Amino acid sequence: MKKIGHQDPLWVKAIIHALLITACLITIYPILRIMTISLRPGDRLMSTSLAIIPPDATFLNYKAALFEKDFLLWLWNSLVITLATAVIGLSLASTSAYAISRWKFPGRNAMLIFLLGTQMIPAAMLMVPLYLLAAKFGLINTYRGLVIAYSVSAVPFSIWILKGYYDSIPTTLEEAAMIDGASRMYTFWKIILPLTTPALAIAFLFNFMNSWNEFMLARIMLPKAGMFTWPLGLQSLQGQFTTQWGVYAASSMMISVPVVALFLYSSKWLVNGLTAGSVKG
Amino acid sequence: MKKVLVALLVLASVAAPLIAGGQQGGESDGPVTISLWTKEGESDGALQWVQSLAADFTAQHENITIEVLNKEVEALREDFQTAALAGTAPDLLWSVSDHAGPFTTAGLIQPVDDFIDTSKYVESVVMNGSTWAVPIASGNHLMLMANKKYVSELPKTTDEFIALAKSLTKGDMYGLAYNLGEAFWLAPWLGGFNGSVFAEDGVTPTLDTPAMLNTLKFLRSLKFDHGVTPVESDYAVADTLFKEGKAAMLINGDWSIGGYKEALGDDLLIGRLPKVSATGKYPAPYTSGVYFFIPADLPAEKESAVKMFIEYVTSEEVQSEMLANLSRLPGLKAALSSPLIENDPLMKGSVAQMEVGTPMPTVLEMRAVWDAINPELSAVMAGSETPEEAVKKMQEAAVNGIANLK
Amino acid sequence: MNSQVVLTALGQVSGTVFWMFVGFMLIEVSIWAVGNKVLKNKNTLVAMLVTPAFVGLGLLLVFPLIYEVVLAFSNMNLYHFRNPEFSLLNGLDNFKRVFTKPVLQSTTFVPVLLRTFLWTSQVFIHASFGMLLAMLLNRPGLKFKNVYRAILILPWAMPQVISALTWRSEFNFEYGFPNILLNRIGLPGIQWKADAVWNFIAMVLTNVWLGIPFMMVISLGGLQSISAEFYEAADMDGASGWTKFQNITLPLMKPVLAPSVMLGIIWTFNNFNIPYFINEMKLESSEILVTALFRAAFNFSQYGFSAAFALIIFALLFSMTLVYVKWTGALKGVTD
Repeated sequence: MKKIGHQDPLWVKAIIHALLITACLITIYPILRIMTISLRPGDRLMSTSLAIIPPDATFLNYKAALFEKDFLLWLWNSLVITLATAVIGLSLASTSAYAISRWKFPGRNAMLIFLLGTQMIPAAMLMVPLYLLAAKFGLINTYRGLVIAYSVSAVPFSIWILKGYYDSIPTTLEEAAMIDGASRMYTFWKIILPLTTPALAIAFLFNFMNSWNEFMLARIMLPKAGMFTWPLGLQSLQGQFTTQWGVYAASSMMISVPVVALFLYSSKWLVNGLTAGSVKG
Repeated sequence: MKKVLVALLVLASVAAPLIAGGQQGGESDGPVTISLWTKEGESDGALQWVQSLAADFTAQHENITIEVLNKEVEALREDFQTAALAGTAPDLLWSVSDHAGPFTTAGLIQPVDDFIDTSKYVESVVMNGSTWAVPIASGNHLMLMANKKYVSELPKTTDEFIALAKSLTKGDMYGLAYNLGEAFWLAPWLGGFNGSVFAEDGVTPTLDTPAMLNTLKFLRSLKFDHGVTPVESDYAVADTLFKEGKAAMLINGDWSIGGYKEALGDDLLIGRLPKVSATGKYPAPYTSGVYFFIPADLPAEKESAVKMFIEYVTSEEVQSEMLANLSRLPGLKAALSSPLIENDPLMKGSVAQMEVGTPMPTVLEMRAVWDAINPELSAVMAGSETPEEAVKKMQEAAVNGIANLK
Repeated sequence: MNSQVVLTALGQVSGTVFWMFVGFMLIEVSIWAVGNKVLKNKNTLVAMLVTPAFVGLGLLLVFPLIYEVVLAFSNMNLYHFRNPEFSLLNGLDNFKRVFTKPVLQSTTFVPVLLRTFLWTSQVFIHASFGMLLAMLLNRPGLKFKNVYRAILILPWAMPQVISALTWRSEFNFEYGFPNILLNRIGLPGIQWKADAVWNFIAMVLTNVWLGIPFMMVISLGGLQSISAEFYEAADMDGASGWTKFQNITLPLMKPVLAPSVMLGIIWTFNNFNIPYFINEMKLESSEILVTALFRAAFNFSQYGFSAAFALIIFALLFSMTLVYVKWTGALKGVTD
């Protein structure tokens, strides 16, 4: 992209910054409120104060989450499942997307419509049949069922993203390599995949977020306290009537920080990875 | 290609033990594992107590392990139904009486008459001539609580109650706080106005009645005419206001007594909800309790272990422990005569309230009634609907909901 | 945490990954053997590339779909839980019931459908605000661009359950910040939980907050790929800002925005978390189709009926999407 010669006059700049700052405040304030609650001492969680750092701030809730609850165990379980499934999901999607991008085979359009269709199934519709299926194969109370389910569940969207990105890579690259005698899969592995890094990063991120945040399926598939993933753990802090809001907020903060960091780190690819395929202008 | 296949097969046979190690072998006559789902959560210390019971029990019976899992009430019901469908139901449930309706209708639990001597316990869930649950705790009822700093003696009638609440409402202080939008908090007053959610047959909803209308008008007047309650108050708000001393009186259940004892100490006062001045009748909060349910598919080899655990939890010793630790009234009759109740003014107040309570209906139809009352009650309390409109809509919704269940 | 529990997760997950790998290899090898050696088909490589993903998707989605179709032809509910009857008549009855009787306790299908449309239309708010923010961020020589972008993207990065629960507690009448702010400027608070209209607005507000970042990122990507030459040429012709937006930005953004808006519509239509956590299934007047489905299936245990209901929702969304695709050509760039 070329640098555009002229810049906005000062008053336009001022308005733009004012608008952006307002938008940022609206965006970040609710998140800061979680932090505020996590810092309040346990006996006064409800307050009409709007101060972001409460005057009597304390880290007791963080201490409670870390040392009195199985917080680290929940996080560990989630992390193991999530990383494994994100890697599997990515390998499944990247190969399929490549085939769909490069070959016009019979049934290709039907496949694309099918992928789109998978996004339309109401989640509530899947719960009971998936549980029955898992029970049939003895996958209840194990991580196996979840690993299989999560591995595939973000595949449609990943294929979508990756296919768009492959489309934007000219086929001449592969053709040249193949004239030199390289096999198709070697070219894919050595030439195409490295070029796809932004889209791969995005697909990985989607797979990651998808399993990291999943709650409904985990609830019925993991009926054992020691096996909880973090969403189940957080849920256990909520009682029928009373919730340990302080500990809840502290845990939420600690869970969000690494994910947000990962997200922001990969956001440099986010902008290109999501749209590359669709823009040809 | 053959080489690859052979290599894969070799690899598979090497890795097979790896994965088999994680699988659970079939249960023999030796060690037994009982999976228990409980609605008890962590926040009031009840889950920790259940876990300690399980550990103590295992210490006494080495080959029986009790695996405790907490599930929120609604999740427990949903997940139990799903698990039963797949044949992977837990071995024992520790939950509320509301579940008896759906579970018996679907044939998911078995009668307990053969398991225990029901005469030793307080009234349990009886349907179609069988007893379907073993009481762990009884009560679970709402009552009037007050902070002695503001209230020296609990009001006897609703007129006194309103006058007192009015005199206490000033600044950021409320005379009364309770969970405004929940049907469970409406039920006592409906009883006080001589109403009931079901007709004599116990399944036909009777919500479009003068009693319900008067109840709604009364609750509405507390907020709009007398202004003694917060404008909008859910459970958490009422709970916080009372704990912080910003609400002089509170209507809440026996499960919360422990927490308030801690927060208010000697300032806590407990007793009956005041007589409804218009009818001269005491409000009748729903009484139910916490129960064991035994799944219909419980394997025969686990029956004796389940029975032993039930007997352990409902033994006089453990029941007294529950009374002392969690301030819940026992389900075992023998433990009800405990001096702990006689000597404790709070527990005495709770018992006094329970005496005028009414057993909560456990039929399946009750679910439709709850869900019919809740939105209309919210609308009335938000001021967006008149009580007259609300009772009509409630009745219609309840009838529809019941028809839908069939 | 004790080491045994830690190893459980690691052991089970790596075991599963290993076996999935073995399974996929076996599939690959057999496709290769049959396709390349026996049939000598030129599409063998394609089949090898796409099969693993589609076998997985089939397992995860096709079986449940078939199950739901069968269930839709049963009378299964709590009264017929153990031995439901399957018959054509039961099926017809279930499908008929969706349109003739209340799907919940008092709301019928059409009002819920209309409300779902209204709910889904917020995607256009996501898209326009997303586009607006992207255009602001894309101004030449803007300072702190990366800081702004990092902050504006946060709602997307936060775990959704946590955001939803946070917003729910912020709609508390006494202690939530929207009402506190209103009170401070002298206005009465709003009854977000009890009032039907405000409750719906609360749901929409939350979801708009969550939905804008995705559209913003998409728009930003699109804007950055529009060559500056177009604008320079327009400047030379003396075109106004609005003309440039209308004649350059919008047409060039269409291929980027159309598929994203389509995905946004599908996701919003099917969004369960936000209505579920904000309304907590209290007010029927706030239910959209998927939450109504959840209640019918899980609160009221009407298994047969809700299977039929689910299929109708699915069919509806599917046909709507096809119409949208025809109308906007959203898939043009994808299928060719």
